[in-house]
Amino acid sequence: MRSVKKPETYDAIIIGSGMTGGWAAKELTEKGLKILVLEAGRPIEPDRDYVEHVPITEMKFRGMNNRQETLKDQPIQRTCYACDEWASKFFVKDAEHPYTTDPDKPFAWIRGRQVGGKSIMWARQSYRWSDLDFEANAREGIGADWPIRYADIEPWYNYVEGFAGITGQAEGLPQLPDGRFLPPMEMNCAEIAVKEAMARQFGRERVMTIGRAAILTQTHNGRAACHYCGPCHRGCITRSYFSSVNSTLPAAEKTGRLTLRPYSVVHSLIFDPQTRRASGVKVIDGQTHTAMEFQGRIIFLCASALESTRILLNSATPEFSTGLANSSGELGKNLMDHIMGGGADGIIPGSLDRVQTGKRPNGIYVPRFRNVTGKEKNFLRGYAYQGQAERESWERGIHESGFGVSFKNSLRKPGRWKMTFHGFGECLPNPANFVEIDKERRDAWGVPALKIHCQWRDNEKALLHDMMIQAAELLAAAGAVEIVPYKQNNPPGLTIHEMGTARMGADPKKSVLNAHNQAHDVKNLFLTDGACMASSSCVNPSLTYMALTARACDYAVSQMKKGEL
Amino acid sequence: MERREALRLMGAASVFSVLSSELFAATLRAQIAAGNGGGFRTLSPAQNEIVVAMCDVMIPATETPGAKAAKVNEFIDLILTDWATEGERKIFLAGLSESDRRSNELFGHGFAAASAKEQTAIVQVFDEELATTRNEKTPKQIRSWELTLELPFFAQMRRLTLVGYYTSSIGQEQELKVEIIPGSLHGCVSAEPEVKQ
Repeated sequence: MRSVKKPETYDAIIIGSGMTGGWAAKELTEKGLKILVLEAGRPIEPDRDYVEHVPITEMKFRGMNNRQETLKDQPIQRTCYACDEWASKFFVKDAEHPYTTDPDKPFAWIRGRQVGGKSIMWARQSYRWSDLDFEANAREGIGADWPIRYADIEPWYNYVEGFAGITGQAEGLPQLPDGRFLPPMEMNCAEIAVKEAMARQFGRERVMTIGRAAILTQTHNGRAACHYCGPCHRGCITRSYFSSVNSTLPAAEKTGRLTLRPYSVVHSLIFDPQTRRASGVKVIDGQTHTAMEFQGRIIFLCASALESTRILLNSATPEFSTGLANSSGELGKNLMDHIMGGGADGIIPGSLDRVQTGKRPNGIYVPRFRNVTGKEKNFLRGYAYQGQAERESWERGIHESGFGVSFKNSLRKPGRWKMTFHGFGECLPNPANFVEIDKERRDAWGVPALKIHCQWRDNEKALLHDMMIQAAELLAAAGAVEIVPYKQNNPPGLTIHEMGTARMGADPKKSVLNAHNQAHDVKNLFLTDGACMASSSCVNPSLTYMALTARACDYAVSQMKKGEL
Repeated sequence: MERREALRLMGAASVFSVLSSELFAATLRAQIAAGNGGGFRTLSPAQNEIVVAMCDVMIPATETPGAKAAKVNEFIDLILTDWATEGERKIFLAGLSESDRRSNELFGHGFAAASAKEQTAIVQVFDEELATTRNEKTPKQIRSWELTLELPFFAQMRRLTLVGYYTSSIGQEQELKVEIIPGSLHGCVSAEPEVKQ
């Protein structure tokens, strides 16, 4: 019925309801626009869908996950730590969402298709990028220069932090600018010991701080403080961590100008060569598979890095034969993800009469210290550590000898303090890491699938090695024993910080988007998710996506008011 | 109390004084999807008796109930049936036969019929054999999707007994006294329960 009547028309259409779509919805509705949010997946109702308080006793496989079912239905998604027995329902079924890779170059594309997207399961780490990041491409002549600097985005970091609520500790480090933090979460005994030992050995060069996270440590904007149950990625009935479902979408809803349409799989955008605008969106109903169209004055692509790029690639026209807004030829190129999983763990002796109470949904952070003031011979850029200390649980008994009464009594008490540093390294933009449409494959809704060509290159591999060595060195400096350095062989994608493929830049010949996330070629089209990134930093990107989205919305509405859009 | 009312309260600030066990139970009932099914699907009655006995030797009743009361055998049957591969299942069932064989050889009757002292002696030997096959002092970090039971019999038994016990209601509530909603965070406090709320 919908396909025959005149398409519904909105001031703005936002594609995606997750991290960035939620922000676009909030900003544009609060500025007076009547908007439509198209979400490919199902609706989420916290009362019904959140499962963070379901005890392990009630899980069929008691936390060991439904191995046989996930091997069949989620062979890729299951490799994400958050796709556990509780939260696997927030991840897609891989067979419905095919993509291809080169045979020897796996890419783990982790996806959440529902209202809220991956903002439901994200790890909530929230850091500002600095000019060390925004200037890196220009300084080294790699990729395209960012068209913005820290000064351009700083007010927008302030703005989104103010709404979302970020807990953290100010440190005054140039490579990791401080924000307007809610009170920090406490470090535990072993973390305090390691932090103090690092300060003695490394001074201000290598600093350990408590994680900066989008979790409330006090009541904030009507949302309750964290109650320290632990597994945020399963939802939060008190809305204490930031997700679009928990905060931005309710704010947009409050304006009365939001229409949220779940089960709306976007096939492509419609380009009008007369007006040179994206005039509408082709949608396939997720349940009925009926095709329909919606029209909007402006369009925001917020579908996640690779989904947004896939939509543009699938929107080719005679003029834009390689994908909409791709006169530069850069669409699809320079795919990045953080290389993750060089690190070390070790036992921190002592403090056996002391414990942490409450499950802290946040770790510690060691900001980048490589290539900050010095210059490394073996690699460009750097990495940061996330990590934590915790006392060993009863699970240590799985790997120990012993049984019976004394064994049981010993496992009742927590074990020794174990500290882990886990590195996240910057990935250089490289045009040979790219995506294209695989003409042979379509998803369950008939939308052509992506073929992803991506692999770690020498610089990332060198970072991974160094992050392992230096993690062991930090533990040694802290007096740790039984230090175990490790280097995981994770495919790109698994860090779920995929960035690039529609980069921002000042030069329309070398970039897809301008300094305000507006397509150079199609003025009423904006893209504000991870696809827009011109470099990857080693810093978690979500807070930057949020700031860029709010900034782009402000620009778009001001242009509309001036009659430019 | 109605769940909606419970959630409304939970959504308010400083609610944790009102998180009574009644309220907590109400929210849980609504969150819980499915429980474990009953009946054994892999273990025969004789094999089940061996599992029950061996689990209880490993995690006996003390001032808290042990593995038998926690029905670890039911969890093991579930894992063998719906989780394990054919090869892993074979290793486990062969291990049960081996337990019986050793008991018969040493004591003239099967493992389930052996005395507590005899069962302990057999488990002791399994435990020492496993210790000699372990080659790393610190176990590799195993990520959840990498979890496997491609292990010697007693390593399977040890993992499943511990997981089955410590993730049971008895294990979580009586033995470990896990709090689902601690309500506050203290990074480094005395192990004495003075700051518990």
